[in-house]
Amino acid sequence: MITLFSILITISAYYFSRYLGKKYSSPLTNPVFLSTIIIIFLLVISHISFNEYRPANTIMTFLLGPATVALAVPIYKNRELFAKYIGAASIGIIIGILTTVTSAILLAKVLQLPNIFILGLTVKSVTVPVATEIGKIIHGNTSLIAAYVIITGMIGAMFGSKVLNLFKIDHPFARGLAIGTIAHGIGTAEAVKEGEVQGAVAGAAMGIAAVLTSCIIPYIIKYIL
Amino acid sequence: MAKKAWRFLIQMVILIAIYQIGNVTAWFLHLPIPGNVIGIILLFVLLWLGVIKIEQIEWATGWLLKHLGFFFIPISVGLMTLGNMFVSNGLAFLAILLVSAFIGLLFAGKTTQIVIMKNDKEKVNYHDHAL
Repeated sequence: MITLFSILITISAYYFSRYLGKKYSSPLTNPVFLSTIIIIFLLVISHISFNEYRPANTIMTFLLGPATVALAVPIYKNRELFAKYIGAASIGIIIGILTTVTSAILLAKVLQLPNIFILGLTVKSVTVPVATEIGKIIHGNTSLIAAYVIITGMIGAMFGSKVLNLFKIDHPFARGLAIGTIAHGIGTAEAVKEGEVQGAVAGAAMGIAAVLTSCIIPYIIKYIL
Repeated sequence: MAKKAWRFLIQMVILIAIYQIGNVTAWFLHLPIPGNVIGIILLFVLLWLGVIKIEQIEWATGWLLKHLGFFFIPISVGLMTLGNMFVSNGLAFLAILLVSAFIGLLFAGKTTQIVIMKNDKEKVNYHDHAL
């Protein structure tokens, strides 16, 4: 019964947020962000714990695996654009991952956060399904990692284009690549609004950044902490 | 209608199968790469080799990618279990995530743009020379 209720409010919250987001485009109406707040609010006022919500979670995330695999399609469709700029794209994505992860870890160490919090920062820019999978491999806290990733996506969606403007990064390929590499799917949804090239490149960059991070992080994790 | 639903279902089964092959491969070879990433690579290779045509899966992939955000929502709801931690460390987290995201955006974007400009310039010069 609770599971059915949980699924119902999750789908309703999603459709409501999508509707609102189409009507009032703002980072605050991002479907993931807004739905999460609505659902947590509804669960809290109906005294349902996350443990009781968990069976619904398992059912609804069944298609996340195939949905992640589907990312191969935008990468494949934009393979010619990537082939043309392969050097720039590889360097850009790798520099992006390294600088964002290194700066996050250094800041966390300066602020003296415990290791369990620092571990998750290594995958904060990777799309959620991949980040949580890498999280299991490096023995991180899945919920914490999801939190880092989702908040990072929101930051990229809200301020990404402003940061790029500020530093005069105006090439559409470079803009899409930066947003996809740093702010994964949530950022990509914003990049799509900016332009077709930005959206396509962001989607592909998100996939490539996910592959690169999952190939690099589990091997170097022991040297980071 | 039934035929359409059937086609959608078959496309979905193909994607689920590729995802599961990715999982099994990662487990079997003890790879530190998640199964879903192997799935992405596998599907890309299959499309590239022409084993799978894009039209054969595009309906399901289009639908899944359109609603990709939805699948993150139940996971994000898990944030509610971290309430206390955010009360004590929330500002530090936010500062770290904000600053590191800005640094990453700046470096990823600027580096890519500089390399692209350099490439395009070299190509133009070469072209001029050829003329």
